[in-house]
Amino acid sequence: MTHSIFKKLTVLVVDDSAYMRHLLMTLLQALGVSNVHVAAEGAEAWELFRRHEPDIVITDAAMLPIDGFTFAERLRNITGGALGMVPIIMVSGHTDLASIERARDIGITEFLSKPISARSLYQRLIQVIDRPRQFVETPTYRGPDRRRRNLPYDGGDRRGVVALL
Amino acid sequence: MTDLDKKLHKEPKKETPTDVRFVRVPSIVERKLGADYVAPMRLDPRVLDQMQTTIKGLETRYGDALRGQIQTLLALVEPACGGDTEARGRLYAIVHDMRGLAGTFGHPMVGRFANSLCNYIESAGITAWNDDTIFQFHLDAIREALESPGADPAITLETLNALQKLIAASAAERRRLG
Repeated sequence: MTHSIFKKLTVLVVDDSAYMRHLLMTLLQALGVSNVHVAAEGAEAWELFRRHEPDIVITDAAMLPIDGFTFAERLRNITGGALGMVPIIMVSGHTDLASIERARDIGITEFLSKPISARSLYQRLIQVIDRPRQFVETPTYRGPDRRRRNLPYDGGDRRGVVALL
Repeated sequence: MTDLDKKLHKEPKKETPTDVRFVRVPSIVERKLGADYVAPMRLDPRVLDQMQTTIKGLETRYGDALRGQIQTLLALVEPACGGDTEARGRLYAIVHDMRGLAGTFGHPMVGRFANSLCNYIESAGITAWNDDTIFQFHLDAIREALESPGADPAITLETLNALQKLIAASAAERRRLG
């Protein structure tokens, strides 16, 4: 079953490191993904994204001239269809709080810190394939719901200022 | 009652209501497999083994490439610290690659030393290149970690700590000089 879904996936891998691109592509192929497209930076990735409309995007953060954050922002700005909701897995060696918060605020679906392991990549893929979070659209944020757990809350209702459509 | 509670319960709401829309996203597996979909999808140990074997297969080739990269780094330090911006860019790109890849390919300490050097370059900015000492020490540590993978982890960690102290001292010196 697991293999049959991966065979049907189209994945776009974006990383400026040739080794990393090769590693991710080989791991995806080991999973059974038959359609893997690779790009070295954001502008090239954008072209490939438009041409192939992948099911999942795996992107590095730090790249030149267009980095993974800018590319992801561009994807999230696509409105009027499912394309702008494509799951984005950001793979990055920059694991400082500022980078992670920036990724979250842009609407990254999953964050994977380098060095990656087979298990961590596999788990993130299952997460985005099988357990997607609902999408939230506000004037200042467009991306997956940041709340992953439904925990009881004893405080006051701070959502009173928000009108749901 | 805390200030936050008072604010939440007592003060009239002044903010303009914001438009929020929640969209249910169908799972990819549901969309692609339709009736064949059996929830939930779990991690398959055989597939995981296959992925780990793939990484193992790439390890030897990466180890060889890593040796070549260290030689390139050693050659780049002098011009980079002498003002060559292209050499600086290449040096950082290689170390950044190491930070991300070495751990995956069975060289975690190489990755950690590379991470330390990357952090130094990123935090010190242009002043990082004023002196090659920190670069040379890091490259020595990277080379040693690669050539002696079975080295006592305590000693390797001690080396990493010493490098961190060296970086901290360098940062203090930069602050002192303004």
